[in-house]
Amino acid sequence: MGFVHSSATASSAASVAAAVPDVWRANQLASYRTSTVATGHVQLDRELPDGGWPSRTLIELLIQQPGIGEMRMLLPALRRLAHRRIALVQPPHLPQAAAWACDDFPIGNLLWVKTQRSADALWAAEQILRNGTCGALVFWQTHVRHESLRRLHLAAQGSDMVLWMIRPIAAMEDASPAPLRLALRPAAGGIRVDIVKRRGPRRDNPLTLPLDDMPAVHPSFTESDHALVDQHASAAVAARVVPSALV
Amino acid sequence: MHLPLLPLESYRPRWSEPGPTVVLDGDRVLVASQQAVDAGVRLGMKRGGVLTLCPQAGVHERDHKREETALQSVALCLLQYTPEVAFAARHSLLMDVTASLRAFGGMRNLFRLAKSAVLDLGFTVQLSMAPTAQGAWLLAQAGSFSGKRRRLVRMESLIRVLNPLPCHLLPTLYPHQEWLAGIGCRTLGDLRRLPRAGLKRRCGEDVLEELDRAYGQAPELFHWVETPEVFAAKLELPDRIDHAEGVLFGAQRLILQMIGWLTVRHRAIEQFVLVMEHERGRQAVPPTLLEVRLAEAAWQEMHLMRLLKERLGRLVLTAPVIALRLEATQTVPMAPPTTSLFPEPGGTPADFQRLIELLAARLGDDCVLVPALVADHRPEVCNRWLPAPTAKRIALPELPSNERPFWMLESPIALIMRDERPFYGSSLRLIGPAERIECGWWDGKLVVRDYFVAQGTEPAWYWVYRERLGDDIRWYLHGLFA
Repeated sequence: MGFVHSSATASSAASVAAAVPDVWRANQLASYRTSTVATGHVQLDRELPDGGWPSRTLIELLIQQPGIGEMRMLLPALRRLAHRRIALVQPPHLPQAAAWACDDFPIGNLLWVKTQRSADALWAAEQILRNGTCGALVFWQTHVRHESLRRLHLAAQGSDMVLWMIRPIAAMEDASPAPLRLALRPAAGGIRVDIVKRRGPRRDNPLTLPLDDMPAVHPSFTESDHALVDQHASAAVAARVVPSALV
Repeated sequence: MHLPLLPLESYRPRWSEPGPTVVLDGDRVLVASQQAVDAGVRLGMKRGGVLTLCPQAGVHERDHKREETALQSVALCLLQYTPEVAFAARHSLLMDVTASLRAFGGMRNLFRLAKSAVLDLGFTVQLSMAPTAQGAWLLAQAGSFSGKRRRLVRMESLIRVLNPLPCHLLPTLYPHQEWLAGIGCRTLGDLRRLPRAGLKRRCGEDVLEELDRAYGQAPELFHWVETPEVFAAKLELPDRIDHAEGVLFGAQRLILQMIGWLTVRHRAIEQFVLVMEHERGRQAVPPTLLEVRLAEAAWQEMHLMRLLKERLGRLVLTAPVIALRLEATQTVPMAPPTTSLFPEPGGTPADFQRLIELLAARLGDDCVLVPALVADHRPEVCNRWLPAPTAKRIALPELPSNERPFWMLESPIALIMRDERPFYGSSLRLIGPAERIECGWWDGKLVVRDYFVAQGTEPAWYWVYRERLGDDIRWYLHGLFA
C-alpha cells in the first residue's frame, strides 16, 4: 500500500521508474530494449530513447535530397560499427570510399550492393540481415510498400545489426512500422533533424546538429569572403593561370 | 528403413504430379498409385484389365535396375547421418546409428531427420529402430502390425513386440508359409517354441539364423555401402520441365545425395555442375550446363540449395528438361569446426563469404562490390570498386589528402551559367581554394580540372569542377558532400 502512496507524489517518480521498469510515464523516453550505438552527437543522443541508434530496429531517415550531410551524421556511429562489415544497399550515387579513408575509416569493410529492381534490393537487404555478419546496413529505397517495411523490421529484429533505411521526405506522411523516424533537412553548418516518431514524448521543434567536418564551415567565413574568392577565381580563369601552389 | 512403394516411386517420386500410375511385374500389377486404386485397379490384375478400367494410367514395366539406383541414392543420402549403411532384402536399408545418436540430438531427432530426408528424396518410408538390425528390419516390414511402437531400445521390449508378428515376414520362411499355417504356427513367438532341430531339418538353417539374429542371439554382419571415388548422380525426371525453377525439386534430390557423399568422405564442395539434359535422339539439343563455384567450400544443404535457386532463377531454358545430372567437380577436405569457446558476434568469415556468394548468385558479380582504391588523383579512377566474390583485400594506397565528397555522380552533370556563375537549382557560390587536377596524359584519359566546393542557396554542398580543355570553360557537377 505504501508503494502506491509514494507513486502518487511527483517527487519520487524517478524512484518508481527505477523500481518498476515496466511502468512508462508519457513524459519519459521509453526504451527499445536493445543495445544502442551512440550517435556521436550529444544533442541527438539526448533525444533518442536509450541514448543512441538502437540495433535490431528499423530506423527510417527521411531526407530532402541526397547530399545534405546524412552520411556525415551517420559517420560516428558507422565508425563504431566498422569492426564488422557495413553494407550499403542501392545508394543513390557512387559512394566514394576515399572520402572516408582520410578519416581513418576502415573502408575495406564497406560492401556496396547495387540492384536494378527494388524487389532485388529488398531481397538483398533481408539476406544481409538474416546472415548477420555485417554490423550495419544502410538501405536506400524510394518507393516501398508497407508490408515490405514490416518485413524488414521483422528481419532486423532477428539480427543484431543497426538498420538505417533512407527514404525521401515525401514518405513522412505515410504510416510506417519503424519505431524511430527522423526527417533530415539541410541547415547552415549542419543538419536539421525533426523527430517524426520515437518511443517517447513528441518533440515539435527541430534539432540542428552541427556537422563540423562539412566542408569549409568556418565561423570566420562571411559573405565578403565569398565575394573575394569568387572574384579571384574568375580572374584566374580570364588569365588561364592558376597559381602553381595549387597544382 | 523400408521403402514399400519403391517400384512405383522410382518412376513417379512423391513430389511429382499425382496421377494414376501402375507398375507391372510379369504382366501382373505389382504396385498402383492411389489414383489408380480409386479407379478400380487391384493388385495382381493383368495389363488388359488395367487399361480397361483406367485408360489414362501410365503403365510401366518393373525395372530392377532403376529400383537399385533409387535405393543407392537413398543410401547415399543417409550417409550424412552414419557412415554405416547397408542394403537389406525387400527394398530396405539398415543403418547403424549407435555412434550418431548424440551428434544428431538423440534418437527421436535422428529418426525425424532421416525420415524427412528420405521423404524429400520422394520416397514413402517406414522407419523403425531396434537393438538388432534384423529386429528393426522386421518391425519396418511389419508396418501396421507393430502399431506405434517403432522405436525400441531395450531387448526385452523388442522381444515383446516381435513375438506377435506374423512369421511369414521372414523372407526364408516365405515358401513354407502354407505348411506353417497348417500346423498352427502363425507368429514369430510360435515359431520360436517349435523344436529347433526339426525346424532346421524342414526349413533349412537360414531360418534359425535369421530368427536368432532378430532376437539378438547371433552376431550380425553387414556389407556396408561403399561410396564411389567421384560423385556423379543422375535423375530421370518423371515429366518434362519447361521452366528453370521447376528443376529445383529434382536438383534437391541430387544435392541431398551429394551431401551424404561429402559427409562420408569428409570433404567440402568447391565447385559443382548441374547438367540439364534435353531431348535426345533425332531432335537432340545439347544439354544446358550450370556451373556453381563457391568462394568458400561448403557442405550445408541449405546454402547449396539457396545458391542453386538463385542461379536457376536467372536461367532461361531453351528446351524442356528430361533428366538432371549433378557432378562434384572440385572438392577440398572439410575444415574442422572452430575451436573457439565463444562464437564471434559477427559470425565467421565463412558466413560472410556465404552472404557474398548468395548475393552474387542472384544479382551478378558486378553488383556486389568492395572498395579497392587506386593511388590516382583522378577521382573516378581512384574510386575503384571490385566484385566482392573475386576481390582480394588490398592495402590502402596513398590517397590525395584533399577533401572528397561521399557521393560521386556516375557521370558529371554539365552546369549552365547564369550571371557568370555555375547554376544548379540555384546560383552556386564557390568556397575555398581550388584543387587543380591535371593528370592522365599517359593513358589517354587526360583530365584538366579545377575542383571547388560550392554552395547553393539551400545549405547543401556540391563538388563542382571547371574543365579547362580547349578554349571554352565548362562547369560540371561531380559530387555531393553527404
